[in-house]
Amino acid sequence: MNTHDAGPAGGAPAAASPEYRIAHLQDRLASGELGELGVRVEVRGGAVLVTGTVPSAHCREEVLGTVREELTGLEVHCDIVVSETASPDHAEELS
Amino acid sequence: MIRIAAVGDIHMGPDTRGTLRPAFDTLPDCADLLLLAGDLTRHGTVEEARVVADEIRGLGVPVVAVLGNHDHHDDRQDEVTAVLRDAGAHVLEGESAVVRAGGARVGVAGTKGFGGGFVGASAGEFGEPVMKEFVRVSRRCADGLRASLEKLDREGCDARIALTHYSPVPETLAGEPLEIYPFLGSYLLAEAIDTAGADLAVHGHAHAGSEHGMTTGGVKVRNVAQPVIGRAFHVYHLPVRDRAGAGTGAATA
Repeated sequence: MNTHDAGPAGGAPAAASPEYRIAHLQDRLASGELGELGVRVEVRGGAVLVTGTVPSAHCREEVLGTVREELTGLEVHCDIVVSETASPDHAEELS
Repeated sequence: MIRIAAVGDIHMGPDTRGTLRPAFDTLPDCADLLLLAGDLTRHGTVEEARVVADEIRGLGVPVVAVLGNHDHHDDRQDEVTAVLRDAGAHVLEGESAVVRAGGARVGVAGTKGFGGGFVGASAGEFGEPVMKEFVRVSRRCADGLRASLEKLDREGCDARIALTHYSPVPETLAGEPLEIYPFLGSYLLAEAIDTAGADLAVHGHAHAGSEHGMTTGGVKVRNVAQPVIGRAFHVYHLPVRDRAGAGTGAATA
């Protein structure tokens, strides 16, 4: 899964760096069928952290599928949650 | 006291059909009106707008909405607006609506708003045509909001609410990356709110932001993006202003 053993000095093309791949992933999440601007993708140590809230479990699976495709070979930690649809249990009093 | 329910960024599509309706059906018990702060759909398609329409049709409380950037994505914003209006919602863009809440008249002024950033780190109307247009769009939205709030004041509403999708203040963006603040809101909206006056400002858009903020002029701001509030909607109890007292103060100024 981890491809970090070959650094730039070892001949890995700069265009394949995790930063650019993450940027392309976010472009694809935003502009593709998903229209998903609310998912954050960050490098954390040697892994990639994916967080955010999406409207449905179906959306979550779609996002995860796209992440796996774009970041093949990178270790990905995912913490995407689905929006809560329950009624509130209290109101805020505005003075 | 006016009971205001609000939510934004519900991003509905065929796969979320009916998910909010059970909670919305409880609205008549806990709220006098429902505000929808934009991004009601995922891509702004008519099909998605119909899902939202079914969710809000015949709720038993007035529904007042603005569109968000997602609702513009398919370039069908006029059709999306028509579908929501057909379901009974007031859909505002540089406009206002007055609804009854018990014995009170509640005025809502609405605009999607736009980006540009906040004081000290904002975009200027300079350079390339697309850059100037970016700032002009934001300014037009803010001008529409100010004019709508002033109209509501002339009409003598008991409370006035500014409803936007983009944020008027940076406080409710806390949690978002600082670098993207200029894409999340504009101080021009807050300036419009403070110039015309309002009792509450409600917005969405910033999923990772915070619920509570305030304009420089002291108007409370609430970010009701669904991921922020973690519920189908939040309810705010707003005291009704003493209009006679306010009028006396104004007369002596």
